[in-house]
Amino acid sequence: MTGTIVRRLLSMLPVMAIVAVCVFLLLHLAPGDPAAIIAGDNVTAENIALIRAKLGLDQPVWKQFLVWVWALLHGDLGSSMFWGDPVISLIAQRAAPTLSLAFTTLVVAVTLAIGMGVLAAARVGTWVDRVVMGISVTGFSVPVFVVGYGLVFIFAHQLHWLPVQGYRPLSEGFLPWLRNLTLPSIALGLAYVALIARITRTTMLEVLAEDYMRTARAKGVAVAPMLLKHALKNAAVPIATVVGNGVALLIGGVVITETVFNIPGIGRLVVDAIARRDYPIIQGVIMVFSGVYVFVNLLVDLSYTLFDPRVRG
Amino acid sequence: MKTTRRSIMAGGLALAGTAAAPGILQAQARPPASRTVRAVLHGDIPTYDPIWTTANMSAYHGGMIYDTLFGVDANDVPQPQMVGKYGVSDDKKTWTFELRDGLKWHDGTDVTTADIIPSIRRWAARDGAGQLLMQRVKDISAKDAKTFTIALNEPFGLILYALGKTVTPGGFMMRKREAEIDPMQKIDKIVGSGPFVFNEGETKPGNQYVYDKNMAYVPRAEPASGIAGGKIVKLDRVIYMNMPDAQTAVSAVQAGEIDFYETPPVDMLDQFKDDPDVVVETLNNLGNVGWIRLNFLHPPFDNVKIRQAMLYLAKQADMLRPTFGDGKNWRECGSLFACGSAMENDANEGWFKGGQNIEKAKALLKEGGYDGREIVLLQATNIAYMMNAATVLAQEMRQAGFKVRLEPMDWSQVVQRRASKAKPEEGGWNIFITSAGGGGMGNPFTNSGMGANGEKGWFGWPSDAKHEELRQAWINADTVEQRKAIAAQIQENAWNFVPHLYFGQWVQPAIHRKNVTGWLHVAEIIPFWNVQKT
Repeated sequence: MTGTIVRRLLSMLPVMAIVAVCVFLLLHLAPGDPAAIIAGDNVTAENIALIRAKLGLDQPVWKQFLVWVWALLHGDLGSSMFWGDPVISLIAQRAAPTLSLAFTTLVVAVTLAIGMGVLAAARVGTWVDRVVMGISVTGFSVPVFVVGYGLVFIFAHQLHWLPVQGYRPLSEGFLPWLRNLTLPSIALGLAYVALIARITRTTMLEVLAEDYMRTARAKGVAVAPMLLKHALKNAAVPIATVVGNGVALLIGGVVITETVFNIPGIGRLVVDAIARRDYPIIQGVIMVFSGVYVFVNLLVDLSYTLFDPRVRG
Repeated sequence: MKTTRRSIMAGGLALAGTAAAPGILQAQARPPASRTVRAVLHGDIPTYDPIWTTANMSAYHGGMIYDTLFGVDANDVPQPQMVGKYGVSDDKKTWTFELRDGLKWHDGTDVTTADIIPSIRRWAARDGAGQLLMQRVKDISAKDAKTFTIALNEPFGLILYALGKTVTPGGFMMRKREAEIDPMQKIDKIVGSGPFVFNEGETKPGNQYVYDKNMAYVPRAEPASGIAGGKIVKLDRVIYMNMPDAQTAVSAVQAGEIDFYETPPVDMLDQFKDDPDVVVETLNNLGNVGWIRLNFLHPPFDNVKIRQAMLYLAKQADMLRPTFGDGKNWRECGSLFACGSAMENDANEGWFKGGQNIEKAKALLKEGGYDGREIVLLQATNIAYMMNAATVLAQEMRQAGFKVRLEPMDWSQVVQRRASKAKPEEGGWNIFITSAGGGGMGNPFTNSGMGANGEKGWFGWPSDAKHEELRQAWINADTVEQRKAIAAQIQENAWNFVPHLYFGQWVQPAIHRKNVTGWLHVAEIIPFWNVQKT
């Protein structure tokens, strides 16, 4: 087991290296000039050139790349070209809102979606199944920002139950924290619910058609234990895979959700940095997001050993 | 020790309490909501150094924490701010300034001339008006800790205006330590002497910027007017919130979660007509002027006839209406200087008064020998007014016979591309759309784009010797009346050689909660002194 983990961790290194090269080249070959943005509107081309030189942007791309990689290898993601703050501290400042949002979204989505998927599979062909699938199709089709504005209009504007925007840290209390995350979590989670519910239903239907399930039914096992203890556990591997792959969906959704609900998370940090071409922040955040994505997939792979004894062997 | 459910719960609560304690203590130290204003302004603060950048949001930040030697009042007349007594010699070549009593940096040290002199030099290195001043400066020297002189080679009637203008970069005074940093590099410490202190601990770059009342600040005795007069802070804290989504910001004002929003989309303003808690108010009466900048370096706009054709084909109302709706918040303007400013005049406005004339434009194109070459029009698609104006302009140009290629991109790419002097077909450009604050366009002096000094000047690089002579004459004039007369001559000449053209002038109403009052009407920045929350 330990050997597997070490091998998988080592296999992350080439992936991260490829990500680093791609991110750097994409950013530096794309048009846009941070020096021109820093200088503002009321300047001359000469002033922009001077600022570019001070920022080191007049150096060849390969040289800038080596400087960045060397710093990266020393654990230094660089500093914002605009504010001067270290990227790592900016990410740390923004991590709590994003992690909170991702956590609440995952909890809401996985709990709801698996329940809905199991229910739809158990009642396949009935109105329950059709309603669940209807919700899934709708959840996956409607963009996050549309759901977000709709929720704000109903629950913040009309009913005044929840705030329009913002984030309250957990240190200010559990309820304020939860109040501010409820609408964004629902908005972000809907697409995720749809994805997981559909795969749960499909996999459950496959498992329910297996001989051992028929045998279980014939032996008089009650419906609930049969579905949850026998069927769901055997359907868990594909579900866990989708949950893991869905992290990419979650990361993309976080960017939009944080903008709509004004949550000061990492998604907002990178969107604003892209608009300004603040290269160190963009590079740093994408490296962190990539690392998280690869790591989550590693965890998913490891989770197979819990669900399927054959994998352990 | 036996582990029970109760002991686990007690441990969990203790852990949660420990984790929450710093936040609770911090929350207790925060000023109450009734003494805090949360404001969403037009963008994010790109950098904390308002000299290093000319970005407006950095000037807003600068206006909170730094003070200026002079400040223009509501009538655009410079009044002393950090300066107490001042005077000029009979030959108008030596100015003497004495700092007023009670000026202290936020670190508690006294403001002295050792700080002020390098601050003037650093600001002047980056500011157009400052550079004009420095061209005339023979020496700046300290007489003592509170008194300094500026000796000039020739009189410079606009010296006080230059030191007190609101147009970015403003003449913000910094400590000697920061003032001596290369003006092409940003400062690393944010210590001002202004009415607010920057709270770095609670600031989260890109999200919120926190300014606390400077308890040691001694305001002037005069009433606040423009950015002059007493900067009396009536709040404990101001928080700039960066909220890029307009719909979210508008909803947050309606819900009372924020107090002020500088740039609500005009098509959302009608919903506040019946809202008793929200007030729509225009704080910058001169607003903004839309610019259509032409590239003088390459054909066809190196030809005056082709530039004149542009005057006749561009219809301002058509370019403004898609973004700003009905005519409540915009106007057409034929003056080279912002309409509503002291220098506005109607010299040589025949093209404007006659309205759009496509046939005349076609005739000028023929006269100018337009060869049908493609015009590259840079279109910033992430800024609505720029995108709409470019779309309409391209169509009007096509009607007149131009072949136009719109190049969609974001504003960041436009600011990079416009600096290129390459041929349009080799990565350069022919036209870009932008805007400038009406405050800076009330004269030919503060806005770099008002010059016509060729390749040393602003993007587009118009060149006209007579224009430059007249600008110098305007700068050297003694009275407002003389300046008005010269401004008319500048305009007469400008609409002949056409340095650029405009697509109208608009104001941007702000919205704020009804219980937040005392807003000062100032061009270019939003002061938060004098504002109170009841």
